[in-house]
Amino acid sequence: MSFWIIVGILVAIGLWLIAVYNGLVGTRNQSQTAWSQIDVQLKRRHDLIPNLVQVVKDAMGYEQETLTKIVQARNNAVAANGPAQAGPAEAALTQATRGLFALMENYPQLKANDNVKQLQEELTTTENKIAFARQFYNDSVNSYNTRRQTFPAVLAAASLGFGPIELFNMPESEREVPKVALR
Amino acid sequence: MSATTNFVAAQKQNRRNTLLLLAALTVLAAGVGYLLGAVLEGGDSVVSPTGVAAAGLLAVVSVLWSLISLAVGDKMVLAMAGAKEIDKADAPQLYNVVEEISIASGVPMPKVMVLDTEALNAFATGNRIGNGTIAVTRGLLDKLSRDELQGVVAHEMAHLANLDTRYMVVVGVTVGLIALVCDMALRTLNWGSVQRRDDSKGKSGGGLLIIVLLVVAILAPLAAKAVQMAVSRQREYLADATSVQFTRNPNGLISALGKLAEAAAPFPGVSRATQHLFIVNPVQTFTSKTPALLATHPDIEDRIARLRNLGS
Repeated sequence: MSFWIIVGILVAIGLWLIAVYNGLVGTRNQSQTAWSQIDVQLKRRHDLIPNLVQVVKDAMGYEQETLTKIVQARNNAVAANGPAQAGPAEAALTQATRGLFALMENYPQLKANDNVKQLQEELTTTENKIAFARQFYNDSVNSYNTRRQTFPAVLAAASLGFGPIELFNMPESEREVPKVALR
Repeated sequence: MSATTNFVAAQKQNRRNTLLLLAALTVLAAGVGYLLGAVLEGGDSVVSPTGVAAAGLLAVVSVLWSLISLAVGDKMVLAMAGAKEIDKADAPQLYNVVEEISIASGVPMPKVMVLDTEALNAFATGNRIGNGTIAVTRGLLDKLSRDELQGVVAHEMAHLANLDTRYMVVVGVTVGLIALVCDMALRTLNWGSVQRRDDSKGKSGGGLLIIVLLVVAILAPLAAKAVQMAVSRQREYLADATSVQFTRNPNGLISALGKLAEAAAPFPGVSRATQHLFIVNPVQTFTSKTPALLATHPDIEDRIARLRNLGS
């Protein structure tokens, strides 16, 4: 009799573990899919920026400092690993590209250049896609993290190997007003 | 975050209203069918077999008609409006903006089409999520800024996400069916009253039914139309709100609506049958006001005012 009670309890625990495990796997996979969507866009932006710098370099010879800054910001962003590191690096890169766009307003021949216009449009859309995909990623991560931290899943999550996932935040540093040189 | 939750709640409520209204319209159609059958039969039994049969027939026809419209409706609308599918090379900015909003909304990438007209307008069709089309006019591409275009595309994507496009097809079919049946009923009554004079029996119960049928046949199409238009206006408000949920920037849509109000113009291939699909009414000119009850779209000033409230 007591043998069957013990078997019953073991089966119940087994079923519960399966449910917890499947729930955690589902939300973790969604978070990973969401991150890969962001990653695609980040890589696209990293590829676009050298092209833009190449195209505007000759016309904007006087703006060496800005150009160096954007290349540096891009290299930092490429080197960043994982959402927590990538966040601030990508935010800095966004800042740098905005600065460059603002300066380009002073160069009518650049604004009229089809190549530049196309690159600018591609960078803008990539930036928007990053912002929209980030929202979805953070929502997914929040739901995963909440699930693994709440009772009763919290009892089993760590021993089943489900660690926390990092959010992807792009802190908006205080807006740098680009210096406009009047010559 | 709380703002998002409000939008989700609004969508849920709207889906429920959708079902209620659809049920009401179907009951109305079946009721008219029953009355028509009962009058034709002319008996005085409480339950008229012909009436029940006619009600059932109308319900079946209504469902079948809806299914057919859903299967081929969007292709017909696109063909009527003369929309041409484009790819990224034709209008990179438009294509990019649709991609962005597709990511923001979680709706799979719809087809992108362009209508070759100077008028400023846009519309969406699709019978399920994942099989949508967003079409904008050439004039819109020329006159709107990137942010404004984003607001308009997000409004159309909201129609797809909320399944408005499918719902309005079904409601339109049911309203059309009611109008058709009531018209039939009025003609039958006209013909029946001549016949009945030769009929010596003269049933009092039948006389009352005829009066009820007459009143219903005159009022039902108007009531159905008013319900359809009320739903259409409600959907526009919801799509405006959902658009802001996607873009998080009410200013783009506000300033786009301002431009559309000034420049929306009728263009070929648009009729009263398809007018409710567009972001602003393409048939009505904005100087002449349609009576509020029968307008497909809310007043643009009113839409802008509501968006301003969201932004604050």
